[in-house]
Amino acid sequence: MSFIWATRGRTWGFRFLRSGGFGDPLPPYDAAFADIDASPSAFRRVGTTVAVRFPDPSGRNDSAGRPIPHEFVVLPPLSDHINDVAGALERIWPLVADEYETVWDSDPS
Amino acid sequence: MSSNKVLEQHIAVFGESGSGKTVMLSSFYGSEQEPLNIKKGAFNVVAENASQGTHLHQNYLGMKNSGTVPEATRFASTTYRFILKFKGETEAKRLKAKPFDALRLVWHDYPGEWFEQDVSGPEEERRRIDAFRALLGSHVALLLVDGQKFLENVGEEERYLKSLLSNFRNSLVLLRDDLLEDGKPLVTFPRIWVIALSKADLLPDLDVHGFKELVIEKAGSEIVELRTVLGGLAESEAALSVGEDFVLVSSAKFSTDAIEVTQRIGIDLILPMASVLPFERHLRWAQADKLTKKVAVKLIGNAEVVAAALGAASNIVAVLMGKRNKLAGAVGLALSQLTPKLEDAIKSAGAKLEAADAAAVTKQQNLAATLDGFRKDLDEAEEKAILVRSAG
Repeated sequence: MSFIWATRGRTWGFRFLRSGGFGDPLPPYDAAFADIDASPSAFRRVGTTVAVRFPDPSGRNDSAGRPIPHEFVVLPPLSDHINDVAGALERIWPLVADEYETVWDSDPS
Repeated sequence: MSSNKVLEQHIAVFGESGSGKTVMLSSFYGSEQEPLNIKKGAFNVVAENASQGTHLHQNYLGMKNSGTVPEATRFASTTYRFILKFKGETEAKRLKAKPFDALRLVWHDYPGEWFEQDVSGPEEERRRIDAFRALLGSHVALLLVDGQKFLENVGEEERYLKSLLSNFRNSLVLLRDDLLEDGKPLVTFPRIWVIALSKADLLPDLDVHGFKELVIEKAGSEIVELRTVLGGLAESEAALSVGEDFVLVSSAKFSTDAIEVTQRIGIDLILPMASVLPFERHLRWAQADKLTKKVAVKLIGNAEVVAAALGAASNIVAVLMGKRNKLAGAVGLALSQLTPKLEDAIKSAGAKLEAADAAAVTKQQNLAATLDGFRKDLDEAEEKAILVRSAG
């Protein structure tokens, strides 16, 4: 399953927890989110790539009280089946939920 | 200066993730867009990039109307340029002597985690170095102490303060070779590092003197170490104030269900701190002979422009501008003669501007009145125990 996942935790700032197989995931992440505004939820498809953002499904905040967002750049074939934010929640979130549960309140590095 | 009509002042706000950098920037810009502030001021603050202005205003209105804080800044820094456009018609005769007719404030916002954790890869590393270079080319720096974390560590403030200051120091040490070109110390460098308590509304009983005492008592050694590292980056390292100026900042009053943006502390000091504070300090350093010739020409040349603007309405501008050549030629002698007179001239110019009516005066007078107003804002903030300036 190939996707980039960017998020932050209670005490750690934005970082990539999945690189999507890219040596440096920042350029493809930037390209995918370039025209997306800062709304808490967002969805955009360009060709076969999907960029999607949603707030943490468990409503977790960081230590400054800001809601935690999760951002994904999803590549095929997973992206073929995701057409909106709800679809991303259904298909992607179960793949990372347990991992996030273990790292959100500790430093993942 | 990028133009002979614009005085450009850069402010560097250093703070960890969540310490309030973006909120502070949004509060600064948003409050300047309030209809009441637009009407009463002698100048308008305009974002040079309209989209950035809209974004910051949106952040501000989100806090004001919906109680939502701005999204965290991620993976990139953004440079914001604001122009202070002075109102009033320009008088043709005075135009030639006028040193500038606008003041530009440049403010760099970036992810605070760049001080705390590794970057994600080469692209983010490049952006971080570029951002730090820009920050270290500023005229004044604010080092944010997060009021929330301060509160969470009551009685053990040293744990948080030592960690915060060490993180800054270590980041600078690690990036040192990338920040200096050919290892040469920087001439344009933030020489005033003000320690600012952000989210000061959370600590209503703490005035700036109490804050200063706590920081020095609990983390004096870390301040000395930070100063040593900063001194190694700057030419004329004697001309450096690190942890000698303190200020309280609150971008709004935050409660569980509302954000009261009118309850601000210290945000109105941003422009005075960016423009007049360096000017005052540079003059003092010049008098104390703390500047090398190269740095003196750079700093005092800039100070002279501010002085000329302040003095424009009282006809001292020609005298000051006439001294410019002397300054460059025989800097030591000229400075000793010039600097006391500059201070006197500015004070007397300011007194004449006190009754200026924004609706009637010229752009030049508005500019001079505004700068003089900034000088008074700093004095008043000290009287109210929001700001304490270095005595050195």
